[in-house]
Amino acid sequence: MQAFLKIVGISARQQMTYRTALVAGLFTNLFFGILRASLLIALYQGETSVNGMDVGGAITYVALSQAMIAYLTIFGNTEMGRTVSDGSIASDLIKPVHFILLWLGRDLGRSLVNFVVRGLFFIGLFSLFYSLYFPTGVGRWFLFVISLIFSWLLNFFWRMLVNLGAFWSPDIQGFARLAFGFSQLFSGFVLPLRLLPDWFSRLSNWTPFPGMMNHPMEIYLGIYSPSQLLGAFGHQLVWLFILVFLCLVLFRLGIRRLVIQGG
Amino acid sequence: MIVIYSIKILWLLLKTQIRSQTQYRLSFLADVFTTAIFSSIYFLAFALILQRFETVAGWTLGEIAFLVGMTETSFAFMDLLFSGFDPDSFSPMVRMGSLDQFMVRPVSLTIQVLGSRLILRRLGRVLEGLAVLAFGIVTTQPDWTWLKTFYLPVVLVCQVICMGSIFMMGSTITFWTVERIEAVNILTYGGNELMSYPMNIYPRWLLFIFTYFVPFIFVNFYPTLYFLDKPDPLNFPVFAPFLTPLVAIGMALAAYWFWGYGLRHYQSTGT
Amino acid sequence: METIVQVRHLTKDFRVLHRNAGKWGAWNDFFHPQYRTIRAVDGISFDIQPGELIGYIGPNGAGKSTTIKMLTGLLVPTGGEILVKGMIPWKDRRKYVANIGVVFGQRRTLWWDLPVIDSLEVLKAIYRIPDSLFNHNLGMFRKILDLDSFLESPVRSLSLGQRMRAELCAAFLHNPALLFLDEPTIGLDVVAKERIREFIRHLHREGTTILLTTHDLTDVERLCERVMVLDWGKILYDGNLQELTSRFEGVNEMRVSFAENGEDGLLEGLEPPVREGRYYVYRIDPRKVSIPDLVSSLYRTHPVVDLEIRKPKLEDTIRKIYENKSLNTPD
Repeated sequence: MQAFLKIVGISARQQMTYRTALVAGLFTNLFFGILRASLLIALYQGETSVNGMDVGGAITYVALSQAMIAYLTIFGNTEMGRTVSDGSIASDLIKPVHFILLWLGRDLGRSLVNFVVRGLFFIGLFSLFYSLYFPTGVGRWFLFVISLIFSWLLNFFWRMLVNLGAFWSPDIQGFARLAFGFSQLFSGFVLPLRLLPDWFSRLSNWTPFPGMMNHPMEIYLGIYSPSQLLGAFGHQLVWLFILVFLCLVLFRLGIRRLVIQGG
Repeated sequence: MIVIYSIKILWLLLKTQIRSQTQYRLSFLADVFTTAIFSSIYFLAFALILQRFETVAGWTLGEIAFLVGMTETSFAFMDLLFSGFDPDSFSPMVRMGSLDQFMVRPVSLTIQVLGSRLILRRLGRVLEGLAVLAFGIVTTQPDWTWLKTFYLPVVLVCQVICMGSIFMMGSTITFWTVERIEAVNILTYGGNELMSYPMNIYPRWLLFIFTYFVPFIFVNFYPTLYFLDKPDPLNFPVFAPFLTPLVAIGMALAAYWFWGYGLRHYQSTGT
Repeated sequence: METIVQVRHLTKDFRVLHRNAGKWGAWNDFFHPQYRTIRAVDGISFDIQPGELIGYIGPNGAGKSTTIKMLTGLLVPTGGEILVKGMIPWKDRRKYVANIGVVFGQRRTLWWDLPVIDSLEVLKAIYRIPDSLFNHNLGMFRKILDLDSFLESPVRSLSLGQRMRAELCAAFLHNPALLFLDEPTIGLDVVAKERIREFIRHLHREGTTILLTTHDLTDVERLCERVMVLDWGKILYDGNLQELTSRFEGVNEMRVSFAENGEDGLLEGLEPPVREGRYYVYRIDPRKVSIPDLVSSLYRTHPVVDLEIRKPKLEDTIRKIYENKSLNTPD
């Protein structure tokens, strides 16, 4: 446990040294956020509510999704995959912490810094431009935070799953790009799932992706009825379970393959 | 003489990359195809949303497709050509000293950087852009004239030049910061997204910046108004659609000057 | 003979971000970055005559690569001047660079995915090497460096030794009068190193001026007559290699084995020996003791079976120079 916390700490400190990148990232998020918000305003053009979401909600959604980009590493990364192809995975495997936990720790450290700098600061900044909704009541905040934690875990294990492909293929870049593209689309990052056709949201519910973004956002906005709320959490948990399971299995298989083949 | 020499070297550098990337025909084509699919995700999502809303600021899907198609095609093409100047790949080059290796050779650095990287699979995105543009043209059925036929490719070329200049400037900044600057993404990827929609939807102050500081408004929006014969919501002068080449030239000059300045700085301070 | 390289009072300062340690260090760096100036090269001067093969040695951070960068036109000095073949390296970079060859041991020169021969063809175009010269040089290198076995292979598939050979060939393809070799034998096995050294020797015999930077002192011992020792941005020693060893207190080692064991091995005027199995190892200062006299008297008075004198190791000598410097210089 101590080792894990240390890993998180080191990763966090490392992330803080990229000061220019962090600040610049804030402004990038701001820019894209403004673009999307403008688009939504133009789309709504005075209509009060579309499929249960009004313009203010949509804008808040966009703001939150931009804030979460860095925290969730939405665009994915192939860091772990690369350590497999260049062999540096060896130094990770001999560490006294389970491989997946190792990456979890590293990611967590980074995400926490990003959460504060590019998440919280961003919301503060963005609210200067647009009025945002904030949940009323401790209950909703609590549910939102829980959902956010699940979403982070979901996202982490999804990325880990994609990266585990590196055990079978030397170059996962193309596959990773496609995979992360799909997760962006079906998670509601591109635009709120609610605004897309119903058949689309129904389709995406068969994937783990809405749990990564759409669910926590809608919990935040309070759009869900209690039964829908249960459904959303259930969806997140079930998929989390599946993804963790898949990761563990594939990791076991992958290591065996690596050891036999000699990487 | 030196121009011919430089072009010859550039071609030699690019030729080998083309050869090595197209070595495995099938896998290359698959790469191009998946890139095309991946790039179309954003437009597809937008098209789906438009099913609920029908129009955006008075623009139909086909008209938006025209906007998106134009800027996607040129951005993708630029991304393909200027892969060497992509700040994401340039900054590691600086950090790891590959630039030093270039400087030890009697060839202009610009040529060497341009020739250092050519990501051919980005052709997939070019194709996607063209497909969206074609969709736009077919669904909007604009009134086509000779002038428009001539001007369309000119605008595309100018867009490539504008974006390329930004790329170059973004890379030049890494001489000072070493890490790549994410803020450049605002102008490149952000600029691409900005120009994908009718720009009158944006807040006043944003429009101001992109009219007078980085004149993106003349790079896609105004030419498109002209091509589609749409009324100008901002009441700009009549010749606004034709300012595109001027903007391109201006940006290219600024980029080249800044690049030279950056190189001189790099020489005095090293990495 | 005209000097080919002239360096006068060369200085280079760098402004470096000061990283704070401690818990709040990271936050401090974020909001209040601090800088300090480092003097990497501190007023060095030297001349190089055409045809010399010079070893440029020093510990990491001594300023070696900084000097090389300034000599190759990559870096502009803060002070002082450099003239190479009458040119200022960083001023007319493109023109200057066509006259020199550079090998960076730790970096790749050649194009990673290309077969070696393709890289060489590109270089031929870049340096505008006429066909006759290109073919002649290539033919010669193919023989000496044994390139044929991997000429058609992509650079990325080569072993380190093969890559180094290819890089050397590439650096010399256009017949530069001056060659800068930065750690050319790093990471190579003994056989490969010797091969590279042989090639360097060949180039030297042909009249090329070579400045060799290396951590491997065997390189220096095998190749160089003249060495420049650099530390803390200053040249601590510039001169003949032989003189270097004799000047800085080289300790010779005398290893003796006697017919009868059980001797305590104490000899007059010498420190007590160290036992290594059968051998008694004595430290001898050649300035205080005449070795021939010692040896002959030893044979006369003791039943010597085996005797060997080992000269001082270059490493020890160099280390002494560094130690000397750090003891004498206030920081």
